[in-house]
Amino acid sequence: MDLDRAKQTYIIEARELLDSMEEALLTVEGMSEPEEPINAMFRAVHTIKGSAGLFGLDGIVHFAHTVESVLDRVRGSGLQLTGELIGLMLECHDHLAQLISDLQSALPETAEVTLAGEGILARLAPYMNGGLAKAAKAQPIEAAPLRREAGAEAPGRDCWHVSIRFSRDVLRNGMDPLSFVRYLATMGEIVHLASIFGNLPEREAFDPEECRLGLEIELDTKAERAAIEDVFEFVRDGSEIRLIPPNAKVEDYIQLIKELPEEDRFLGEILVAGGCLTLHELEEALKVQRQEAYGDGSVQGRMLGTIVIQENAVPPTVVVAALEKQKKYQERQAQELRVVKVSAEKLDRLVDLVGELVIAGASAHAKAGQAGTGSASLLEATVTVNKLVEEIRDNALSLRMVQIGETFNKFRRIVRDVSLELGKAIELEIHGADTELDKTIVEKLSDPLMHIVRNSIDHGIEPVDVRRARGKPESGTLALHASHESGSIIIEVSDDGGGLNKNRILAKAIERGLVKTGANLSDQEIINLIFEPGFSTADAVSNLSGRGVGMDVVRRNIDELRGTIEVETEEGLGTTLRMRLPLTLAIIDGFRVEVAGASYVVPLDVVIECLDLAPFLESEHNHLVNLRGEVLPFLRLREVFQIPGEVPARERVVVIQHGDLRAGIVVDRLMGEFQTVIKPLGKLFKGAKGIGGSTILGTGEVALILDVAQMVQLATERHGPPRNSQASLTESA
Amino acid sequence: MFQIVRSTHEGEPSLRLEGDLTIYEVTEAKGTLSAALDQHPSLQLNLSGLEELDTAGVQLLAWLKQEARRRGRTLTLFAHSPAVVEVFDLLQVASLFGDAILIPPAAPSLIAPSAS
Amino acid sequence: MAELIKFSKRQTQILSAAPVERREQYLAFTLGGETLAMDIRAIREVIQFGSITDVPLMPTFIRGVINLRGSVVPVIDLMVRFGRSATAVANRTCIVILELTQGEDTAEMGVMVDNVSEVLSIGESEVEPTPAFGSDIRSEFIAGVAKVEDRFVILLDVNKVLSVDELAALIG
Repeated sequence: MDLDRAKQTYIIEARELLDSMEEALLTVEGMSEPEEPINAMFRAVHTIKGSAGLFGLDGIVHFAHTVESVLDRVRGSGLQLTGELIGLMLECHDHLAQLISDLQSALPETAEVTLAGEGILARLAPYMNGGLAKAAKAQPIEAAPLRREAGAEAPGRDCWHVSIRFSRDVLRNGMDPLSFVRYLATMGEIVHLASIFGNLPEREAFDPEECRLGLEIELDTKAERAAIEDVFEFVRDGSEIRLIPPNAKVEDYIQLIKELPEEDRFLGEILVAGGCLTLHELEEALKVQRQEAYGDGSVQGRMLGTIVIQENAVPPTVVVAALEKQKKYQERQAQELRVVKVSAEKLDRLVDLVGELVIAGASAHAKAGQAGTGSASLLEATVTVNKLVEEIRDNALSLRMVQIGETFNKFRRIVRDVSLELGKAIELEIHGADTELDKTIVEKLSDPLMHIVRNSIDHGIEPVDVRRARGKPESGTLALHASHESGSIIIEVSDDGGGLNKNRILAKAIERGLVKTGANLSDQEIINLIFEPGFSTADAVSNLSGRGVGMDVVRRNIDELRGTIEVETEEGLGTTLRMRLPLTLAIIDGFRVEVAGASYVVPLDVVIECLDLAPFLESEHNHLVNLRGEVLPFLRLREVFQIPGEVPARERVVVIQHGDLRAGIVVDRLMGEFQTVIKPLGKLFKGAKGIGGSTILGTGEVALILDVAQMVQLATERHGPPRNSQASLTESA
Repeated sequence: MFQIVRSTHEGEPSLRLEGDLTIYEVTEAKGTLSAALDQHPSLQLNLSGLEELDTAGVQLLAWLKQEARRRGRTLTLFAHSPAVVEVFDLLQVASLFGDAILIPPAAPSLIAPSAS
Repeated sequence: MAELIKFSKRQTQILSAAPVERREQYLAFTLGGETLAMDIRAIREVIQFGSITDVPLMPTFIRGVINLRGSVVPVIDLMVRFGRSATAVANRTCIVILELTQGEDTAEMGVMVDNVSEVLSIGESEVEPTPAFGSDIRSEFIAGVAKVEDRFVILLDVNKVLSVDELAALIG
């Protein structure tokens, strides 16, 4: 594992930690026992800081340090987590997210970002005991400021300290450090100078033309920093030049010691000799380091990382080992799901392969069946194989399943922020967060859901005063609801806001030319106009609603997922948007049927039962039969698809359920259950009626998958609306 | 221009360096001097003949000192010429080398110091 | 003055003979007795007409779908597309599999033809603009007409013929 990979892991983990921090912040308000989220927030920042130290990410360490201190006070010293502090912590979260993001893009910290960070830290200051804890710039150790001993002399402190490590090529480039020293001497008095020949290798390895000279100089001069820097103008590239102005703090010298490659004590003694530090101050600083180093185990790991990294001699194994130690520390503390991270591409490839395996298994089984008698064992063997393939398929598909709660939770933050911005009070309720669905569907749902949620917040839920006037609770409720239902997943977004105004919708539709004036539309038809392209009732498309893309795009997105969306609304009471989606896009459990020799597939999850049609035909009336006291409308696939040929003597009925409607599909033969990969038919067949996709059978033949919703709709158009299962036959006439 | 002249100094073998010891000479000088260090457990370098010394030269001398220690030899620098003294002063390396440096009187003379 | 003119004329003649002509390759095939050709760049392969699965409630120019090594590919009957009666399946009936990129999407599609004959190399200069009469194929489907060894070959613009948007609209 090299350093870059370790850093990537850090970024991924930091993001997860930030997510858990945000979630904790959003759920903690009003909790009677807030220990768990508070601990979660603290742990998140603590870990981010610690690991950042390992990689020398001083900007992150610096910022996280104060945040961690405040959270520590909340955790231990009884600092109250007020709404205001939560808001400030959310800002801290955002800033850390920005720093991590910049880290990933390999952007250096801009002045703007630093300034923003300092601003936030300044506002955190009142929450710290007696002001901001002194986190020295870019220093992983919180060293308490050392005090100067009374009477101690440190004359070097009145001088500029000039520290140079010349680049190796300085001599070859025709320059001589001696001339710089001579020149510096003309600018003032060189009170002290120490030459350091660093790291001269042995024997052949030593190249005498390479410059390995470093200088630590105390220069007593009235010259400005710029003037001193100018002296080194020609060697600035490749050389390390550090200047410490006169009357600097002890910490500044200590920091210099840390930054320079030579041993701390060695450098310390030079500075003491130069009069920058007293011996006592040096001892104190070194002692503090040692204490930190051997105190908390995890901190030692961090120390190791920073020193090693500053010397630019990081053995990756060391850093990784330390990072691992940090992680173990965290795992001991937190009770987390044991999770394995898998690349999304690998997962997709696996599911593809499993799909192919399913088809090949079916093919083998079919061929074994054709082989004739005497191959019963072969047939049995293929059955065994297919059972195992089915299990693998189920497992592989379940790998792709993620809980929709993850997506729902993202909305907490948005609801909070947006409602604050608009001055509305909105509560977010989430139900069915552990409902699982295919990750691809979740990804593609994210945008449409976002749009719907924003609509509710912007236009659905009324401002507080309006709600009060209407006698509603001041706080509006936005509910996200997910559940499984007969083979599909249902997602609802409902609000108790003002509902959709039918008159306004109709007026707008007429204005946009979508509807002719005087057209007679039912209420539901009017409401469904919102899905028409080019429609938007927002008078002012607030920037929160985003691009004003409209519900037509939302519907298109849902269509692409082979789902449906419908709207229920009541003026003054609220609106509910209901989406119905398939559980998975990839593989289907199907029931094969035959009509006129061609195969069709009915999604197994809608199949209730299969029957012979004959007994029912006697009492059939207008394509309705009596199924154990219930009215069952049916349609012949042959008729619906206008397949030529004679209707066979014996027909079969597949009873299906769509929503709360039942219907029967009449076919020639029932071929049985099987599982297979869905092959989409492509853009060309977008308008195809009754067909929702295709699949390849074991025989190589292409079979069409029925779109049950459309089938039911087609049946409705032909035979009148199917009664729901409650109505009795006598009412049907 | 650079030369190394063999002689002895108080019974011990010594090498007298003459001319310039700068970046132009150091590579060649290193070879010769390093070999000399191998040949003599105790080597003395007479610096009276050095007219010019730059950082590379000082660095080489410092390296030789370090090599002597590494190889278990002794190396002594003596009779530092004015040029050498000036540079040593500038870089404050006297203590680094640890050799006794005679501040020459106004008129330079090549008086060999007593063995330290 | 006159000599000057003559001189320049000769110069222009020399200049115009210089450039090398671009030649494109086309696959020629027969459809309802006519010889047509399409740009070879869009062609992936040619297969024999075999079993095909009908897709119900589709316009007749959609013959159905086939299984092409695990992909489900639609097959268009060009005769019907050009407003004639359906292609009669015979021994040499083939499906030419095309890969068309329209906008952001790339799709595979098959077209039924009576048979395929040869690959023609046709230069730009040999292509004449579509005549106003002579073929009942819609003029926007035709990229041009080429004269090859005494025959006229109609060059199809496959992107227009098989425009997914147009076809999908026809389907509803």
